[in-house]
Amino acid sequence: MGIDVEILLSALVSGLLLGLVLALVALGLTIIFGVMDIVNFAHGEFLMVGMYAGLLTAQGLGIDPLLTLPVAGVVGFLLGVVCYFGFIKFLLRGPMVAQLLGTFGLMLFLRYLALLIFGSEDRALHHGLLVGKSFDIGMGVIVSATKLAAAGLSVAAFVAVWLLMNRTRIGMALTATALNRSAARYMGISTERMNALAWGIGGASVTIAGALIVNFWSVNPFIGLLFTMIAFAIVALGGFGSVPGAFFASLVVGLIMEIPGFWDFFMFTFNADWMGKVPMTSFKYMWVYVAYFVIMVVRPRGLFGWKH
Amino acid sequence: MKSMMRVGMVVFCVLAVIGLIAPGPASAADAVKIGVIYPLTGGAAAEGRELRAGAELAAEIINAVYDNISMDMAKSQGIKSLGSAKIELVFKDHEGNPTLGADLAKKLILDDKVVGIMGCYHSAVTKTVSAVCEQYGIPMINDSSTSPDLTKRGFKWFWRTTPHDTTFTKDLFDFLKGLTEGKAKGVKAVPKAQIQNLASACEKTEWGSNVSALIESFAKEYGFTVKKSILYAAKSTDLSSEVGSLKAVKPDAMLFASYASDAILMLKTLKAQKAQPKVLWGQDAGFEAPEFKDTLRDDIVGVLTRTVFLPKVASVKKVAGEVDGFYQKKVGHSLSGASARAFTGVQAWAAVLEKAGSIKPLDIQKAANAIKIPADQLIVPWQGIQFATSGEDIGQNILGSGMIGQYQKDKDGKISLEIAYPFDLATANLIFPFPGY
Repeated sequence: MGIDVEILLSALVSGLLLGLVLALVALGLTIIFGVMDIVNFAHGEFLMVGMYAGLLTAQGLGIDPLLTLPVAGVVGFLLGVVCYFGFIKFLLRGPMVAQLLGTFGLMLFLRYLALLIFGSEDRALHHGLLVGKSFDIGMGVIVSATKLAAAGLSVAAFVAVWLLMNRTRIGMALTATALNRSAARYMGISTERMNALAWGIGGASVTIAGALIVNFWSVNPFIGLLFTMIAFAIVALGGFGSVPGAFFASLVVGLIMEIPGFWDFFMFTFNADWMGKVPMTSFKYMWVYVAYFVIMVVRPRGLFGWKH
Repeated sequence: MKSMMRVGMVVFCVLAVIGLIAPGPASAADAVKIGVIYPLTGGAAAEGRELRAGAELAAEIINAVYDNISMDMAKSQGIKSLGSAKIELVFKDHEGNPTLGADLAKKLILDDKVVGIMGCYHSAVTKTVSAVCEQYGIPMINDSSTSPDLTKRGFKWFWRTTPHDTTFTKDLFDFLKGLTEGKAKGVKAVPKAQIQNLASACEKTEWGSNVSALIESFAKEYGFTVKKSILYAAKSTDLSSEVGSLKAVKPDAMLFASYASDAILMLKTLKAQKAQPKVLWGQDAGFEAPEFKDTLRDDIVGVLTRTVFLPKVASVKKVAGEVDGFYQKKVGHSLSGASARAFTGVQAWAAVLEKAGSIKPLDIQKAANAIKIPADQLIVPWQGIQFATSGEDIGQNILGSGMIGQYQKDKDGKISLEIAYPFDLATANLIFPFPGY
């Protein structure tokens, strides 16, 4: 088999894996938006908090980073609920723009609080059950163990959230609130509690993602922005508020980020040396925003959007 | 209320007492202030700490007498020609940010009234800071930035002690050429076809992008093929597509210019993707940072890095051994390329001030252009320090030279850098090919 097929397969696999990891990041954002129509700019900062929670727990207690996921989940749930009752609740009284600026402020607050506490240095985990491990699945495709675990967990989390939303009373209550807040309240569903729950679940899912991601990416207080941007692109692509939409859009975005790999495939296939000179890796995030822009123009509610 | 007042009084008294016993700045009036701008926080904070420790050690040796160090500047207190004035280093943190660096330089010049400036490690920051110095007519000695362009601007207030990347990159290609000629210690001549194809990944600011261009041009000159050259952001959190792209061209040698956190991430990603180059070389910086070795451990055995100082130099050079011992006692580990160059930068400052015998910028400028520090005074293995006053590379030290080190594991399992190039100084058999992952 030629090297070009190896490159194609590697790019496909690594794009899909990355997509699944990103799906976990985007899940919380889409839940919060779905239930409350609030765009949480601080989403990436929640992820950062999760990363620090995972990293510090693992280093502090000397346990494997994978065991810190529940800790990160609890931290995220509490963070979400506290943010809701302490801050977001009051924003809801104001106009949309106040909500936007409010979560923007929350983003800055969390970011600089982290800077104050942790300093601006990059920190990374270097030891752990899965850290740095990878295996060859044949045909030149090498899969990193941490990404595979993250991808697996991501699928599980999506299934769990989907079941929660569609098969349980509390999930139906959440969905009802999402669809029609007043009607749900007349049926005896407390909007307040549902909102808090959405923030709790959203927060927990993203901090768990963070604790998993810190197994292969380093963390610093400014890391949130990159993920917020990508999560926004994913959620917009999939349709704001749509859980399956976020899932599929993540896969698309993961593949888009592997465009340099596909480019290399074409370079070998066509034996075009000039293609090797194009700095494709420098633009790997650009295509994500190009896709975001195109979807905004062509289909503003996203691929699977059901809210307007 | 009364008790509150009492507590307040007690606190006040304690503070007053602390204020009285704590030593004030020792005769601050006649100290010569040098502003030192380094990345003390941010992605390169680890190197920043090294640089600062190296600079502080040099100041300490200048300001007091140390009989056990055979350097002229250790024989007297302070700068003799300035009435034994002490050197005071005023440190500032540029966080790797060129704009911030320029602001700090202005502050140092206008508020702190420094006599001169040193720094800044990141070439991109040195570029803006030196422009400020040029504008105000304040001398700047650059100890640790290696972008060749910095000395190609014809500046009158800028001198650089470290050799730059043209020298270092040429060393790399001389090394590769030597490898094909059987000059490397313990390795038979490698057929050129086996190391023909190169791929490079460099961080994309001033420094890395210049290194990338140099690799391209030297490869042409020496008859190697650069199959891929990538520029990436040093602040990247993920380099898997970059590594994938490098691996795709199946290079024989992978060449990098990386700062600390990205160098670690790069190596981790190379390992995760089981990269198999025969040569893995880094352009100093991150590849030499202590945390690079501490975090990656066995994974870097066989990795090459260019450098200007290896602990092994201490065994060849007496004065290097003496200073290294002193440094180890203070900091807990050996000097690195960063700390050794910061040390040498402050040493150059002291020598220039000694020669100038004045703190007027014009006198300092004259002295810097005329100075010659002999090799036996330096801890780095150079022929000395003398700045070019004409030609293309104005202000550049023309007596500097580079080395290439290789991480190897000794019998006790300790990983350290062995000298691999220049071949005649080699301290161990070269590990070739790179063991891979």
